Amino acid sequence: MAELISLLQNLSNGLLIGGVYAMIGVGLTLIFGVMRTINFAHGDFVVLGMYTAFLFNMQLGWDPYFSLPVAMAAGFLLGLLIERVVLAPIVDKPHETSLLATLGISLIIGNTLLLTFGGESKSVHVSYASLTVPLGAVRISVILLLAGLVTIIVIGALYFLLHRTEFGRSIRATAENRLGAELVGINTRRVQGVVFGLGTALAMTAGVALIPLLFATPTQTGAILTLKAFVVIVLGGLGRIGAAVAGGLLLGMVEVLGAAYVSSAYRDAYGLLVFLVILLFKPEGLFGRTVKRV
Amino acid sequence: MIGNLFGLLLLLGAGLAYPWLLPGALTVGITILLFAGWATAWDILGGWAGQVSLGHASFVGIGAYFVAIGAMDYDLAPWWSVLLAVAAAMLLALFWGGLTFRLHGPYFTLSTIAIAEILRLIAINENWLTGGATGVFIATLPMPFGIDLFDRLTQFYLALAFALGVIGCVVALSRSRFGYQLRAVREDENSAMAAGIDPTRVKLKAFMLSSGLTAIGGGIYGMMLSFLEPHILFFLLLSVQIALTAIIGGRGTVWGPLVGAVLLVGAGEVFRTTFAEANLLIYGVLILLVILFLPSGIVGEVNRRLIRRRYARSAQG
Repeated sequence: MAELISLLQNLSNGLLIGGVYAMIGVGLTLIFGVMRTINFAHGDFVVLGMYTAFLFNMQLGWDPYFSLPVAMAAGFLLGLLIERVVLAPIVDKPHETSLLATLGISLIIGNTLLLTFGGESKSVHVSYASLTVPLGAVRISVILLLAGLVTIIVIGALYFLLHRTEFGRSIRATAENRLGAELVGINTRRVQGVVFGLGTALAMTAGVALIPLLFATPTQTGAILTLKAFVVIVLGGLGRIGAAVAGGLLLGMVEVLGAAYVSSAYRDAYGLLVFLVILLFKPEGLFGRTVKRV
Repeated sequence: MIGNLFGLLLLLGAGLAYPWLLPGALTVGITILLFAGWATAWDILGGWAGQVSLGHASFVGIGAYFVAIGAMDYDLAPWWSVLLAVAAAMLLALFWGGLTFRLHGPYFTLSTIAIAEILRLIAINENWLTGGATGVFIATLPMPFGIDLFDRLTQFYLALAFALGVIGCVVALSRSRFGYQLRAVREDENSAMAAGIDPTRVKLKAFMLSSGLTAIGGGIYGMMLSFLEPHILFFLLLSVQIALTAIIGGRGTVWGPLVGAVLLVGAGEVFRTTFAEANLLIYGVLILLVILFLPSGIVGEVNRRLIRRRYARSAQG
């Protein structure tokens, strides 16, 4: 019985952490689906969100969730700017070019944060950090629950945008066939700019939701989160939002269960192993059809 | 070809003069030469064969750790350990490439990061193998012919020999049958196959050559550091540095990686006081500039301009 409860406890933790991974992955897969850009700076945008929450908490004493609107707006504008200046000129170059360009952006963000805030890791302590909600015998941490709630709202809003609005239709059209979308009069340059802005905003939102849980270090956390985001989207199948959500939940569970029942030292390795296996043997993802859609 | 041999002589001359001119900056010199060697070795796979790897720190780590563990636990002289490290690196590359060369472009790159990260986690966690997260310390090294291997000057000459050797390899490669096969695979795998080239085999050979050479530099680096920590030696950012050095200098050119190493390590040294540990900022800014304005790298762009001018002149008559 005790084993069952601890299994359920682990599963619920994995599910909630996976929800945050899903939010990170959704932004990345949206960007990949529409622009075919391998965005290596995605984890650094998450870290940027963490530092936004940290900054407002330190200066004004805000709860991280108060700085959420600021982080989302800043992320959208930053993404729009980066797309215009860096990514738009290389949109027709080979995939590697955008990978290297975003790698450069990642180094710039990480090292600028290092110069501004110093190398020690940062976090925000909230008064409700140790609160839990009992659900039968399983206890669920409030900050994880809040993070999961944010994920559900954000992904729901994104789904609404993509499937219930005219602009969402033009995003999906661009993802399916850029030339075709241009032929029916869609301004694909604008779509790509907005999509990169949205992806960045999603990453920064995830960062704000994560800061009460995790420590942020300027150059290392970003790389780790970028890798996780890639694991998430490859797990599900590149370029599809539902698949990224499933991939995120799966990664959260694999990590928590692997850490609990195999060895916690290799926590980060389980996801990578699954990632390699899927890349090699089922590159269209676990739930993939070969056609890629948003 | 004559130009390349002249360049090698020039590098030898500059290398021999360096300790006299800047005796206080030997460590910087060693770092430049090691990065030149690593970036050139990386370029065999990343530039000539067109397979961008972000996992080469693994081979640096293998070289350094073989030397350290060989010296401390088995009383093995570093030259034997380096040979073993080269064999191990090539074996790993054979396995690694055999597994991942079916992936193309960015997917191959992502897989190299994943494998290198797994290797790093192994190096950190397996204490019996690597001394674990705390690292290993090289306390004693043999003294062949009375030469002290801990001496910075000795290490400088070793690094010089390493850089010359690797660049020499690429000079030979640039005119060899194998070099042309690599370029054919990089440009178009299907056409290369139609010409009777087996792309996977050619890429595997390039990966093995590249990894073996990188491990030699890793051995020298290990002696230079003398205290090895797995998070530094197997670190993703070291792989990134090696790759960006070559790409900024010019992928698929003989001298690009050397130019990149001089520029980036030199700039890191100049801005050391301004940026402190944030010196990778320079890499980030330069790679963006190169991608936007000099897509074939510094040396690649210079070469392109020279060829255009020569062609224009010959066309005028």
